[in-house]
Amino acid sequence: MRFRLSGAELDTASLRDAMRHPGSGGFCSFEGWVRDSNEGREVDGLSYEAYAELAEAEGERILQEALARYGVTDARCVHRTGDLDVGGLAVWVGVSAAHRDEAFRACRYIIDEIKHRLPIWKKEHYVTGESDWVACTHVYREHEHELHHHHHAPHMAAPFVPDYSRQVRLREVGEAGQARLAASRVLVIGAGGLGCPVISYLAGAGVGTLGIVDGDRLDASNLHRQTLYDARDVGEPKAMLAAHRVAALNPSVQVRTWLDPLHAGNAVEVFGQFDLVIECTDDMRSRYLSSDAAVLSGTPLVLASVYQYEGQLQVIEPGAPCLRCLWPHEPAPEAVGSCVLSGVLGPVPGVLGAMQAMEALKILLDLPRPRDPALSLVNLLDLAITRLPIDAKQGCALQGGCRAMAQQALGRAQEEADIDLVFDSLEDAIEAGFQLVDLREAGEIAAEPLGITASRQIPATQILAHAAELAQGRQLLVCASGRRSAHAARLLRAEGLDGVHSLAGGLLALRVEG
Amino acid sequence: MTVVHLQYYAQLREQAGRSGEQLATSAANVRQLYEELCARHDFTLAAEALKVAVNAQFCGWDHPLRDGDTIVFIPPVAGG
Repeated sequence: MRFRLSGAELDTASLRDAMRHPGSGGFCSFEGWVRDSNEGREVDGLSYEAYAELAEAEGERILQEALARYGVTDARCVHRTGDLDVGGLAVWVGVSAAHRDEAFRACRYIIDEIKHRLPIWKKEHYVTGESDWVACTHVYREHEHELHHHHHAPHMAAPFVPDYSRQVRLREVGEAGQARLAASRVLVIGAGGLGCPVISYLAGAGVGTLGIVDGDRLDASNLHRQTLYDARDVGEPKAMLAAHRVAALNPSVQVRTWLDPLHAGNAVEVFGQFDLVIECTDDMRSRYLSSDAAVLSGTPLVLASVYQYEGQLQVIEPGAPCLRCLWPHEPAPEAVGSCVLSGVLGPVPGVLGAMQAMEALKILLDLPRPRDPALSLVNLLDLAITRLPIDAKQGCALQGGCRAMAQQALGRAQEEADIDLVFDSLEDAIEAGFQLVDLREAGEIAAEPLGITASRQIPATQILAHAAELAQGRQLLVCASGRRSAHAARLLRAEGLDGVHSLAGGLLALRVEG
Repeated sequence: MTVVHLQYYAQLREQAGRSGEQLATSAANVRQLYEELCARHDFTLAAEALKVAVNAQFCGWDHPLRDGDTIVFIPPVAGG
């Protein structure tokens, strides 16, 4: 095998030595390293996850292509998986050849194709403690811009050129509409029953950038309705699988993936990177989060959901009534049903997903459409669509408006989500870069010492007076039960100290666990 | 008695065992009607969890009933 995945550190000296051949007059290598920032965010490490079987087959294919295309003597590549620190060697490409020109070109070809085609995903760990999955795909490939270098491989197919003639022919679309689609960025949340048709149609239509969010792995029970996938894919992360399908369907589409669900802390920022969002999850919390993030970021949102033989569709353009205008509060899980508990026939999310894709294209292309906001009920047993107009003066408007409602909900969720942190031990917290602040009274500390040195001891009641000392770095507030620390953390957050957290359950929880 | 047309969606359709029915009721408004239906079909969802529409327009729970009204109770659904 010329291509290999490695969970362990790479030894470049031995990799290089293996490239020596009597016929080779030169050797060229490329090393990809982990750098300390990406798109303006500070990064302190990466994790790589690969769809191993597919990555190995595709990697091997790329190296064979490079050999054929450039006539080099040897070409090899190793890609890391697992955790890497800043400066770590993530990917190594080596080529040896009779002459330097083809060695350079083949090396460039290999790394470009690896980044474009391999189902390998990286999770960036930010200095702020968050992390995000980022697809290792990009669209620019140097060899597509090479002239007259096909003589080594006359059998190679010409690069794929998308043909949008069937939709460009539509008077309302035309070349201008196609250019609009190519410049559009659409985020699809959920790559399941609804997401599959959405992703297929938008990729096929030539939407320039598709973001795909899905935290789940493919289950065999998904296959009756999730048409992007096949039996070999079971067990793999859906966002990765979907991204790979998009690359196969339309290589000109740039794909970004999130392998964790969005949360209150990043949803508005992520929405802000897209022109339109399509909510396709089966998760009520995600639907409310999407509605709130759409309102606050001013991003159009297409919502749909299904139940057995029917579905609901709602388009929220900026300023229009949101999900909370209909149902102000997230209902209890038992009230809403799910595909798991209630069952669903495959074509039902297929139809609703296709309708979502249609609504998305209508907005992106600014096609004629009803401008009054509505909830559409689609009953596929009766073949009936009921369109219920939504009165913007009711709903959120009676409670301060969609923005205020969204801000409140998001604020609450955010506090709940990231203030309380769970650790197995205080040593783990220190290792993760936290400074410990013991909020207990002197008597409590004497009776039950931490067993580890806290950076500070500040009684909970005096915490605000010490806010200035806690403004730098990440602070983990600790008390007996987690109640005082959670409250103190909220007080400090209100003062703008974003790096303050509370040990969930307090020292009690550590003792129970330990 | 007022004669109304009812349409059921999602869990309500499942619990009622039909997607609609015609009903003669003594209920004066949609809230009373829903209470009557809860008893009739063992609906488990509270009215607060639902949206209600009369003649294809969303309305409040005190909306009065008239002969021939078409009434739709809509729970939020989350499947995908």
